[in-house]
Amino acid sequence: MSSPPLHPVPSENPLPDRVLSSLDIAVFERNGMTGEFHLQGRAPEWWCARCGSEPRTVLDLDLWSPFLKDYLIADDPARNAEASVVEKSGPWTETDGQGATMTFEATVLCIESRTILLVECLGTGFEQMRAIVQRARERVLAETIASKTQRKTETRLINQLEASERTKDDALALLQHLGLAALVLDERGRITFASDHGLELLGFSAEEAIGREWEEVFLIEEQDRVMLRELIEAPPNGRIVGPLCMRKPNPSWVELGIHHDPRHPDRRILVVTDRTELHTLRRVLNEQSSFHDLVGKSPAMLRVYQLVRDVASVDTTVLIEGETGTGKELIARAIHSVSERRNKPFIAANCAGLTDSLLTSQLFGHKRGAFTGAVNDQQGLFEAADGGTLFLDEIGDIPPPVQTALLRVLQEKEITRLGEARPRKVNVRVLAATHHNLSEDVVRGSFRADLLYRIRVARIQLPPLRERREDIPLLAQSFLVTVCTAAAKTVDSLKPDALHRLMSYVWPGNVRELRSAIEFAVISCKGREVSTDDLPPEIVGASAVPDLSASVPLPEHDEKTRLLAALADAKGNRTEAARRLGISRATFYRRLIELHIQPR
Amino acid sequence: MIQKKICMLGGFAVGKTSLVRRFVSNVFSDQYQTTIGVTVEKKCVTVASQEIMMVLWDLYGEDEFQHVRDLYLRGSSGYIVVMDGTRKDTLQTALALQQTAANTVGPVPFVSIINKADMRSEWEIDEHVIEQLRDRSWTVLFGSAKLGQGVDELFLNLATQMVQRPPLSNTHP
Ligand SMILES: Nc1nc2c(ncn2[C@@H]2O[C@H](COP(=O)(O)OP(=O)(O)OP(=O)(O)O)[C@@H](O)[C@H]2O)c(=O)[nH]1
Ligand SMILES: [Mg+2]
Repeated sequence: MSSPPLHPVPSENPLPDRVLSSLDIAVFERNGMTGEFHLQGRAPEWWCARCGSEPRTVLDLDLWSPFLKDYLIADDPARNAEASVVEKSGPWTETDGQGATMTFEATVLCIESRTILLVECLGTGFEQMRAIVQRARERVLAETIASKTQRKTETRLINQLEASERTKDDALALLQHLGLAALVLDERGRITFASDHGLELLGFSAEEAIGREWEEVFLIEEQDRVMLRELIEAPPNGRIVGPLCMRKPNPSWVELGIHHDPRHPDRRILVVTDRTELHTLRRVLNEQSSFHDLVGKSPAMLRVYQLVRDVASVDTTVLIEGETGTGKELIARAIHSVSERRNKPFIAANCAGLTDSLLTSQLFGHKRGAFTGAVNDQQGLFEAADGGTLFLDEIGDIPPPVQTALLRVLQEKEITRLGEARPRKVNVRVLAATHHNLSEDVVRGSFRADLLYRIRVARIQLPPLRERREDIPLLAQSFLVTVCTAAAKTVDSLKPDALHRLMSYVWPGNVRELRSAIEFAVISCKGREVSTDDLPPEIVGASAVPDLSASVPLPEHDEKTRLLAALADAKGNRTEAARRLGISRATFYRRLIELHIQPR
Repeated sequence: MIQKKICMLGGFAVGKTSLVRRFVSNVFSDQYQTTIGVTVEKKCVTVASQEIMMVLWDLYGEDEFQHVRDLYLRGSSGYIVVMDGTRKDTLQTALALQQTAANTVGPVPFVSIINKADMRSEWEIDEHVIEQLRDRSWTVLFGSAKLGQGVDELFLNLATQMVQRPPLSNTHP
């Protein structure tokens, strides 16, 4: 081979030259003597660009990356000669003067002992391949990050779950340990959690209760359920309701704390407290110190309460005996409200001081024109009380003709209106009261014996106040509360001396008189405590008779003086005078007649 | 001046190019531009009062698309094995590549680095594994191409080893 030409040797075959050059491939042949590589044929554009202004034909390896030199000096120069697989250099990058990079790939071929070097500038195809690999690697990296994040989240959640499980276990253990009956309701009112004690109180197993609506497991009265529903659905603020009566598993009384779940405002936490014992105790206590509107816990009164309960359950006539002002009507009302008839009318009639016809018409009714002034048909009290209870006060004062009519009604259970012939069926329970000794009246002939027996099937004797002095503080305090409420005054209590005075007074007018005395005292009282000076003068002035025997009646002239004094105080107004004495108007009239007092 | 060929080995995206560029040009980019083929960079250093021209072969990352060719490793005076602390699998690749390198170029000095030390909280390669590498008498350094931490130390460490223990054969002029 001759010395290297300065310019590329024009090829004898220009077509392959053109092809190689347009593929950006430069072809070099090694000079066997110098070992230099000489450009052959037409040079591709990049060659000229790399060579600058002066076109060269010799490959200066120092201007190229050491990569190319390494490839060329690789130990077997004859490689690729006969090999079926041509070993290329693989891509490498070169940086030009401006810092731009180009990627090349070289191939050495040994053909007929000539060493040919092809240097290809990698273009679009290579860039596309690079982009694909780049994308694939980026995707792998993104997936690594994603799965790592996921793993982290998983670990975090697992830890959180474990922690919350632990907290839950602790809280549960605490709940069980405290014996707290707690339930959690979701936003739709379904039970999502119930502590053991809660389940026990409800009488359900966890399987039965969880997932069910609270209304299905709280077996309570309908009106309680409605109230509870309103409270549970109301905007959250903790409140306590009850005690409510729960029917299952055994009738019990519970108190319910309704709290909102701080994490979910729509959820509720119910804390149920069993108040059965407390409720029972309270009821027993209440029952002992009062019964319906009756106040007192003396043995005498406790016996009365028991009697009331006993007679209420049987539908008989009851005779209530007691001095004036002992509360006979209250007993009648108590019997009525404990009896089966409690949802029917209770009518009270005072039989004292009425004429035959007036009383008859009042009790049995009349037909229009039955007597002068009967301008309309009028039903009587028996008819008005149909299905319920008729309370006949002062039954001892009924005139004989009316006694007869009454007896018939009690026997036949039918009445005939005045002026009518046709009897009417009535279903009325009669409760009668008297301050008389009716047996004596029978002996005296003023009361029918058969009527007495008919009335006195059952009998309740109310003790006079002086026989149950231990009830006076309770009664006084109870009246103080009611009177103060009505009078809008604040009087808290009685001073010991005032109470002592009340305890030692003889109370001819019994409880009614005591109530009047308290009314008087509240009006007079200037402070918050009733003192002796606030009490009515007849009590303050009365000589204390602490051990006055129950049966000792007041001396007649004493009573006469009291009545006259009361009348004078009330300026002749008999109703007011009776009120001041704490006795009924009827009693007052009767006593006036009995004591031959002629009011002015 | 003596020239030393040094190969950068490691899985893809562990930061080989970033380490070289930080060392040679003191630049860094967050953008990932994968290396296809080989880029050779040079930097002159002085160790033990000897000037050495480090010829750094930044090879493409090893993965299913590209396997490192033994050919490229020939004539290396040393090599650097790079791992990404945030990706545990780059450790396996590093182990395999080190094996290939040892088989190809023999017992030349090499240094390994766990890169991306700026993301230490994300690291998956733990102390235990690092201890195991050191037990195999690997030099394991930590660094961050991003922050430039441990980068000069990495290359100088290798350069020092190469000067102290000139390889018996395979010396690259
Ligand atoms: N946070 C952080 N990122 C880095 C660090 N070193 C490199 N990176 C990033 O990691 C990605 C890969 O970096 P390269 O240097 O291209 O990795 P390579 O090993 O050369 O990758 P291949 O050439 O594909 O094998 C790039 O997005 C870099 O910005 C580092 O120290 N810290
Ligand atoms: Mg790279």
